[in-house]
Amino acid sequence: MSAAEQKPLVNVVVDGKPTAVPAGTNLIEAAKTVGVHIPHYCYHPGLSIAANCRMCLVEVSTAPPGKLVPGCQIPVAEGQKITTDSPRVKEQQRAVEEFLLLHHPVDCAICDQAGECTLQDYFQEYDYRPTRFDTKKWMKNKRKDLGPTIYLDQERCIMCTRCVRFMREVAEDPVLGVFGRGTTEVIDTFPGKVLDNNYSGNIVDLCPVGALLNKDNRFRARAYFLTATPSVCTGCSRGCNTFLDHFQGVPYRYRPRENMEVNEHWMCDHGRLSYHQLYDDRMLEAAMGGKPAKAGDALLAAAKALRDASAKAVVVSPVLSLEDAMAVMLLAKEGLGLDEVFVSGRGDGAADFKLLREDRNPNRKGIELAAQGFGLKLRPFAELTKSKPTAVLLAGVDVPLDEDSFASWVANVDTVVALAANQTPVSASAKIVLPLATHAESEGTFVNFDGRAQRFLRAFGANGAVKAGWQWATEILAELGFSYRFGGAFEVFDELAKRLPAGALGDFDWVKAAPRAVVKGVTPLPGGTVDGRPPGFRELIPLRTPATPVVELGGGSFPRLPSGHPAT
Amino acid sequence: MTKQQDNLAGELSRDSILDAQIPSKTMTLNMGPSHPASHGTVRFLVELDGETIVKIEPEIGFLHRGFEKSCENVTWTQCLPYTDRLNYVSALCNNFGFLNAVEKLAQIEIPERAKFIRTIGAELHRIADHLTATGATAMELGGFTAFFYAIEARDLIWDRVAELTGARLTTTFGRIGGVDRDLPEGWIRKVKDTLVRVAELRDEISTMLTHNRIFIDRMRGTGLMTADDAVNYGFTGPALRAAGVDYDVRKAHPYWVYDRVDFGVPLGTHGDNYDRYYIRLDEMRESDRIIRQCFDMMEPGPIIIDDWRYVLPPKPHVYSSIEGVIGHFKLIMEGIEIPKGETYSYTESPNGELGWYLVSDGSGRPYKVHCRAPGIQLLGGLEHMLTGSILPDFVPTFDTINMIGGEVEQ
Repeated sequence: MSAAEQKPLVNVVVDGKPTAVPAGTNLIEAAKTVGVHIPHYCYHPGLSIAANCRMCLVEVSTAPPGKLVPGCQIPVAEGQKITTDSPRVKEQQRAVEEFLLLHHPVDCAICDQAGECTLQDYFQEYDYRPTRFDTKKWMKNKRKDLGPTIYLDQERCIMCTRCVRFMREVAEDPVLGVFGRGTTEVIDTFPGKVLDNNYSGNIVDLCPVGALLNKDNRFRARAYFLTATPSVCTGCSRGCNTFLDHFQGVPYRYRPRENMEVNEHWMCDHGRLSYHQLYDDRMLEAAMGGKPAKAGDALLAAAKALRDASAKAVVVSPVLSLEDAMAVMLLAKEGLGLDEVFVSGRGDGAADFKLLREDRNPNRKGIELAAQGFGLKLRPFAELTKSKPTAVLLAGVDVPLDEDSFASWVANVDTVVALAANQTPVSASAKIVLPLATHAESEGTFVNFDGRAQRFLRAFGANGAVKAGWQWATEILAELGFSYRFGGAFEVFDELAKRLPAGALGDFDWVKAAPRAVVKGVTPLPGGTVDGRPPGFRELIPLRTPATPVVELGGGSFPRLPSGHPAT
Repeated sequence: MTKQQDNLAGELSRDSILDAQIPSKTMTLNMGPSHPASHGTVRFLVELDGETIVKIEPEIGFLHRGFEKSCENVTWTQCLPYTDRLNYVSALCNNFGFLNAVEKLAQIEIPERAKFIRTIGAELHRIADHLTATGATAMELGGFTAFFYAIEARDLIWDRVAELTGARLTTTFGRIGGVDRDLPEGWIRKVKDTLVRVAELRDEISTMLTHNRIFIDRMRGTGLMTADDAVNYGFTGPALRAAGVDYDVRKAHPYWVYDRVDFGVPLGTHGDNYDRYYIRLDEMRESDRIIRQCFDMMEPGPIIIDDWRYVLPPKPHVYSSIEGVIGHFKLIMEGIEIPKGETYSYTESPNGELGWYLVSDGSGRPYKVHCRAPGIQLLGGLEHMLTGSILPDFVPTFDTINMIGGEVEQ
C-alpha cells in the first residue's frame, strides 16, 4: 500500500472526469476512483491478471484506433482518455454477456448464487435482450465433487479461472486446472488430486456465478433475503473481518470482509464454519441445578453464592469481547475483592501458513490488557483446580482441558456460576447457568494477536433470557450493592477502557471503528413471516444445519461431455 | 354579583318579559366520521349559531394508512396496488396517473395501443366516479331512486372493468411501459352496449333531478365558490370548472390520445352545487364520446414496450431461457431500476388534477412518492364555501366536491 502511494501520480480522464492515480494502477481501479464501474468477471484485486473474460474491454486514447483494451490488464498512462460508455464498448459488453449465457443452464430458481450473481447483474445492466440461441445447450457435470467442502457445477461456470488462480497463488495448493477447449472447457481437479484445503471456501466467494458451492450451506438460504452484518471471526486470534449473513435471527454463513491489513480478501474454512457455534446447542434460558430456572432467581442465587463464599475464583474466557471481559473483571476486582483471575478459553490448535493461528481464541490480547488495567493477575487455567475455591464464576464455558473431566470437577465445587452461550458438559454440571449472548447478538470489540482492536456489530436480537456478558456482570454487581449502570456496550467501553494501560489500543475509537457496511436483505419482511407466508411455513427453513450425507449421483447416466473428454 | 349575573339580572328586569332577549351562545356539533347524511369517513366540527354555520372544521385521518411511506419500501411495480386505494371509485385513473409519472421519469414512450387502452379505462372510470357522486348527492338529499339508477349504471361499467382487469374496484391495471393485457375478445361490443344503457340511466337521473324543484332548491346558490377563490384554494376538476375556469389537464396538457379525440370541457357559471352537479352529467356525455372515438381510432399493435429493463420478459422466455429467467428475477426481486431524478406528472382524474411527485435514486424502489390528491384542496375550501350558510347546505356541498377519503388521507 505504502509503496503504491509513493509511486508518481498519473493523470487520466475517465468518461470526461479527470483523476490522478499512482503509476501502474489498472484502468478498472482508476475508473473506480471517479465512481465509474467497469464490469469484470475474471479480474480480482487479490489475484493475478488473466484478462480472459473480456468484459472489461474499454476504449482508450492510447490504443490503436478501433482497438478495445482490457481494463484489468492495461496500466494507466499519462494523459490517457478512458471511455467506458461508447456504443462500441456497450456493444462489446452486450456481446460478451450474450456469449456467456449461450450455454448457461436455466438455473436461477435453484441456484444459491441468485441475488448476488454477477452474471445476473451484468445481464440486466448491459444486455437485457432475449436469447438468439435456438439449439441445445451443452450439458456438463452439475455435481462435480471437488473435495470435502466444495461442489462444482460445471454448467454454470463461465471459465474466469479465479478459482484456479486462487488455489495456485493464495492457497498455494494448485489442484485446480482448466481442461478441454472451447465450449467443452471445464474446471476440474488434476487427476488424483482432491480439493482439500483450509482455504477452499474462498473460491466459492470468488466465483462470480453459482458454479462453486459450499457444501455447508448449499440449498439452505436465498442470498437476496440475507442481511449481511459486519462482524469479526472468532475462530482464532487473527480476527479476520467478516460479514455475518443472517435471516430472521438465524446465521447462515460467514464471508470475508476486505481488510488489507488483517486478512486481505480471505478467511480460512476453520473460521468460516465457526458460525455454527452461534446457534448449535445454544443456552437460551437460565438454569439452576440442571433445571430451567427464571433468570431473576438464578441471578439472585448467583450473587448470593458469590458474596457468601469463603474462597472465590473468577475465570474469564478469551472468547468474550473486551467489553464483557472488562465488566467481569470489574466484578472480580471490586465486587468480589479478588486480585487474580484465571484464564480459560479454547485449547490451542495447529497454525497454518497463512491466516489460522495456534491460539483459537479471538480476544486473548484483550483480556490481558483488561487484567493489566484492573490490576488483576492472570493465572493459567490449570491452576484453578488446585486452588480449591468454594464458588467459581465461569465467564464463558470454553475450556482448554478435557471438558468431561473438568465438568466432574465443576460438579464437586459448592457453587459454580457459569455464563454459558452453548450447552456443554461444563454448563450441564454448573449449579447456576446464566445464558450468554454470542458476538452475533451483542456488539463489542475483539483485540487480535497483533493488538489491533476491531469492532463487531450486533447482527440480530437475542432469544430467551440471553444477555451479554457485561449485562450479567453489571446485574450481579448491582445485587452486591454497586451502582454501575451501563446503557450499552459503548458505555461499558467508555467507562472502563479508561483503566486500560495508556495507549493500549492505539488510536482506536469505539464509534468511528464501527464498520458501516450493513447490507440489508432485498425484501424486509413483516415479523413472524417467511417469504411473506404465514408463520406455519417457518419450519420449512432449517434452523440447524442438517447433517446431510454427501450424495454423489451415479456417473453412468450423468456426464454428457463427449467421450474421451478429460473431465469425464 | 358577577358581571354575567348582573347582565342576566338586567335582561330579566326589562319592562316586559316578552321583550327579553334569550341569552344564546353558539353550539358546537360533531358531524361524522360516520354520518347518515354524508358519505366518506371524515369528521366535521361544526359551530352553529342557530342554524347558521359559523365555523366548520374538517378532521381527516380516519383512513390514513401511510401510503407515501409504504411506497418507499416496495418496488415501483408494487406501488401500483396501493394506488388503487387512493380514489377507489376510479382506480384506473390512479393506476395510469402513477404509471405516467414513472414513465416520465424513465423517459419511456408507451405504444400507441396502450395509450388508447389507458384513455378508455380512465374515461370508463370517470363515468363511474361521476355516477357515484351524482347518485350519492341525490341520495343524501332524500332522492334515493336516483342513487339506485346511478349504482346500476356504475355496476355495469365495473363489470366491463372486471372483464378488462380482473377486478371491479382494485384494478392494479397497467404496467410501467404500457398495459399488461389487451382488450378481451368481444369487449368493445360489450362496452358500446353498456354505454347505451348507461346513457339511458344517466338521462333518467337527469330527468329526475335536473328540473326537480326540491333538488334545485337545495342545490342552486348553495356551496358558492367564485372563480378567483376556486383558483386561490387550489381547486381543480369539476369544482373549478363549475366556477367558470376553463382548466382541464386533458386539454391544457394533453396526454395519451386526448389531443386527437374530439371532446368538450363543460363549464359552469355560478360555482354552486347545481353547476357542479350539472357539469358531472355533461362530462359523462363527453367521456362516452371519447371512448367511442377511441374504439374507432385504435389499431392492433403492441400494448407494452419491448425493453427488458422495464418490462417482464414474456413467460415462454422465463421458463425456457436463462436470459428470460434473469430478467424476471431481477425485475421482481430488485425492482425496475428507474433512472435517478425527480419529476412531477399530472393527469385529470374525475375530481381534478391528480399529481405525482416522484424521486428516484436509481434503485428499484422509490426514494420518495408524493401524491397530490385533488380532494385535499377541495376539502380545504369547504369552510370558505359554507361559512354563513345554513347547516342543510353542508350536505349537498360536501357531496358535490366529492372528497374521497382514500386519496385525501392516503
